[in-house]
Amino acid sequence: MSPDLAVVVAAVAVPFVAAALTPLFFRLLGEEAGFAGTVVAVLSFGLLATQYGSEGTVALEWIPSLNVALRFYVDGWALLFALLASGIGALIFTYSPAYMHGQSGLVRYYAALFAFMGSIIGVALAADLIAIFLFWELTSLASFVLIGFYTADDSSQYAARMAMFITVGGGLFLLVGFLLLSIVAADILGPGAAFDLAAMLEEPDAMTAALRGRGLFLPVLGLLAIGAGTKSAQVPLHFWLPNAMAAPTPVSAFLHSATMVKVGVYFVGRVRPMLVGPEWLFLFATLGLTTMTVCAMMAVAATDIKELLAYSTASHLGLMVAGFGFTSVYGAETGVFHLLNHALFKAALFLVAGIIAHEAGTREIDDLGGLRHELPVTAAITTVVALSMAGIPPFNGFYSKELLFEAAVEASHYHDIGLLGWLYPAVAVFGSIFTVLYSLRFLSLFFGERPDALGHVHSPPVTMLVSPAVLALLAAVVSVDPQLAVDVIVQSGLEATAVDPHEMHVGLPTSYSTPVGMSAVTIAVGVAAFPFYDRLHDSIRRFVGSTPPVRSNWWYDVIIEGLTDEGRWFAETIHNSLLRTYATWVLSGICALALAGFVAADAIGSVAVGFEVTLAMGLVLLVAVVGALAVVLSDTHVAGVLTLSILGFMVAIFYILASAPDLALTQLVVETLVLVLFLLVIEEIPATERIAVGTTVRDIVVSLVVGVTAFVTVLVSSGVRPEGSTDIARYFAAQAVPEGGGTNIVNVTLVDFRGFDTLGELAVIALAAISILTLIVMRGRGDDERPTARTGDAIEARDDADTTGGGDE
Amino acid sequence: MTTVIMRTTARAIVPIVLVVAISLFIEGHNLPGGGFIGGVLTTTAFAIIYMAFGLDFLERGILGRDVDPGKEPSRDRVVVAYRRLFAAGFAIAVVSGLAPLAFGKPFLTQTFVMLEGVPIYDHLEVASAIAFDFGVYCVVVGGLLTILSVVGAE
Repeated sequence: MSPDLAVVVAAVAVPFVAAALTPLFFRLLGEEAGFAGTVVAVLSFGLLATQYGSEGTVALEWIPSLNVALRFYVDGWALLFALLASGIGALIFTYSPAYMHGQSGLVRYYAALFAFMGSIIGVALAADLIAIFLFWELTSLASFVLIGFYTADDSSQYAARMAMFITVGGGLFLLVGFLLLSIVAADILGPGAAFDLAAMLEEPDAMTAALRGRGLFLPVLGLLAIGAGTKSAQVPLHFWLPNAMAAPTPVSAFLHSATMVKVGVYFVGRVRPMLVGPEWLFLFATLGLTTMTVCAMMAVAATDIKELLAYSTASHLGLMVAGFGFTSVYGAETGVFHLLNHALFKAALFLVAGIIAHEAGTREIDDLGGLRHELPVTAAITTVVALSMAGIPPFNGFYSKELLFEAAVEASHYHDIGLLGWLYPAVAVFGSIFTVLYSLRFLSLFFGERPDALGHVHSPPVTMLVSPAVLALLAAVVSVDPQLAVDVIVQSGLEATAVDPHEMHVGLPTSYSTPVGMSAVTIAVGVAAFPFYDRLHDSIRRFVGSTPPVRSNWWYDVIIEGLTDEGRWFAETIHNSLLRTYATWVLSGICALALAGFVAADAIGSVAVGFEVTLAMGLVLLVAVVGALAVVLSDTHVAGVLTLSILGFMVAIFYILASAPDLALTQLVVETLVLVLFLLVIEEIPATERIAVGTTVRDIVVSLVVGVTAFVTVLVSSGVRPEGSTDIARYFAAQAVPEGGGTNIVNVTLVDFRGFDTLGELAVIALAAISILTLIVMRGRGDDERPTARTGDAIEARDDADTTGGGDE
Repeated sequence: MTTVIMRTTARAIVPIVLVVAISLFIEGHNLPGGGFIGGVLTTTAFAIIYMAFGLDFLERGILGRDVDPGKEPSRDRVVVAYRRLFAAGFAIAVVSGLAPLAFGKPFLTQTFVMLEGVPIYDHLEVASAIAFDFGVYCVVVGGLLTILSVVGAE
């Protein structure tokens, strides 16, 4: 059964439409607008659910000339992720109104959540590399808006900027990887499939062979890994995730545990069949297990419940990446199944954390305890999901962790990895011990002694309890009957991500095997070490606090500050409000780029220069040279301007001799106008000042370089063409009368063949006029303002003269 | 600059320049010329007026308005008119480019018709490109005059 285009597009588009309509929802419903979000999310969910069981690609035309289309590929893996996004989205929208009650900026909040949900569904379903990249970056943008929701808060701004910088930056690496992929795919599968990921995944072996043959395999793998690693908070770029906890808790639950951060994992699973191999195993298994262990230890060191959950999320993302990193089928099973399990228990835990923060008024772990009396329902929910996180049988987290152990043990059977074959299982167990520890710590908030300092804890409104309860219920269902989840969705997800899928069976172990032993060790050590939790917590904190270089966050701060300082220095050097400086830098830069380009393209060597000059031309050019010398030697501005015009008019006459009447006319007229303009403003120009020798030398060098560049550019681009006119010239000459109805080829080209270019030129002229207007008007307003910075504002005013910058304020 | 010689010369020259500019614009399709050159030449004519008679001459002498000295140049009514002119020119160019879309052609497609038996000319060719070219003309005149008058006012 193939998917239905209309339904798939609707499922992606509905949240975006809702985002646009958010203000309207607010006008109608007030703060209850969040429940409209529930309806929208459920609608998306329903639309996606109708596609259950279908598989295939549907496409909308987008940029046919580049073979870019809005392709959507529907299969179990895509549906699993899209359904998770819309389903958990519905619960978050249900939870939000009570949690966000009475806060300002809710329109922005809900609109961003809608847009985010649409983007995630888009990433899950898109099968076109460009579309994937677009949705991918959209999720980062929405995340930026939501993390920075408390705009007045500095730490919130800092966190939002950091998340944006890391995830969007990683997305750019991804884009480069995509472009390399598309180059290879265009060769192998034909140009039509250049950006079609679905087509590439149908020919994984051919693609792998082609990538290896071109030596692009490792670059592509590395670039995609950076993209996925930044998004999924893998070490060493995991630090943005704990900082992202500046966002409101529902956002953390939705974006930073259940969906957005899983996009990287999802994508790793998506391209797994194409890129799997020993390098893949080494890269992702190492990356994932490192992340899992480091972040689990950091979670133990956390003092704030949201921080604990954030590090734990990063740790579990590492678990999934490691799962996909193991090349055996168990690895894929780990990744797919844990993606589902983690979404269920972690979103619920975040919502619980939100309830605690909302009702108890604090998020400090040390200040909380014995909450089971006031929050009985929440305690029950937490018991299920926290034990699931810990991987205690029979809860659902146990099954996927068991699969990870199995994959780690099996890894050495598939590839010869020597010592790593021992190291992987050992590290997996070590990291899992910490997972057990912090899960139990979170659970202990509800048990044990109630601190005296804790004030009265309210009981939460029912809308806040529904969502975590639903998630806990689902987690419980999966715990009781994991095979049900496998049959419903995990198996089909496995088929998309595994190289050699087989019938997957999960259940409680009935006999001893190595993974069972590993689980037993994990749980036993974790429980035994729990009494020493505080000591562990303190020692990790001390170690991290005393040595900043082990903290990625410290590196980030150092690098960003360095960049900021450098940027400021750079700006002050180049933008010192002297036209001379601007011109020097800009012209030198352009010349350097142009000359480097010519050298790189090897264009200079192929130019043949002829010296056939008629007497008239020689005379004219001689006068031009004399004029140019006179410009330099003139000692007043008027003389300089007039001699410059001599040069210009000589060039115009040269055009006439070279039989280019249009050019000559233009040159004459423009030259006249420039002369007149100069004469108008000549009195305003300050008298010449003495310039230092060094500056003079520099100016001579710059002007020589500019001259040489212009000369070479003309030579290269006009192409002293030994074989006569080009095809284009011949075509224009032949078609000007029949096609354009004019005998003046230049003008027919301008308004007819190349009309769009002319339109661009018009925009430039209009922009120049507006810029000058702004410049002159701004001059009279304070010296510290930089008028040049304002010209950009004028772009939007191009079509509306009454709003041009500056004058009408 | 406002000498008697300058003013007398300007009176003679400006109409000629304007006529030449317009003729260059109109016949640009088949002979050297076109919107850009016509526009620049028109601007030159205005520049000569400015040099000979001063910046306020257009408003005071031709439009018969009073000018408050000391206003910001960009607030001048004439400058506003110039700004409107290049905005309108841009709009004309874009709209003339959009028109073919109604006939199912791509953006900016141009065509031409031959008119036979027109009085005086007898045979006249009208190219749709002239609309686009007129947009070019307006943008150039408006843009350059804006620059000129603002810079000149300084």
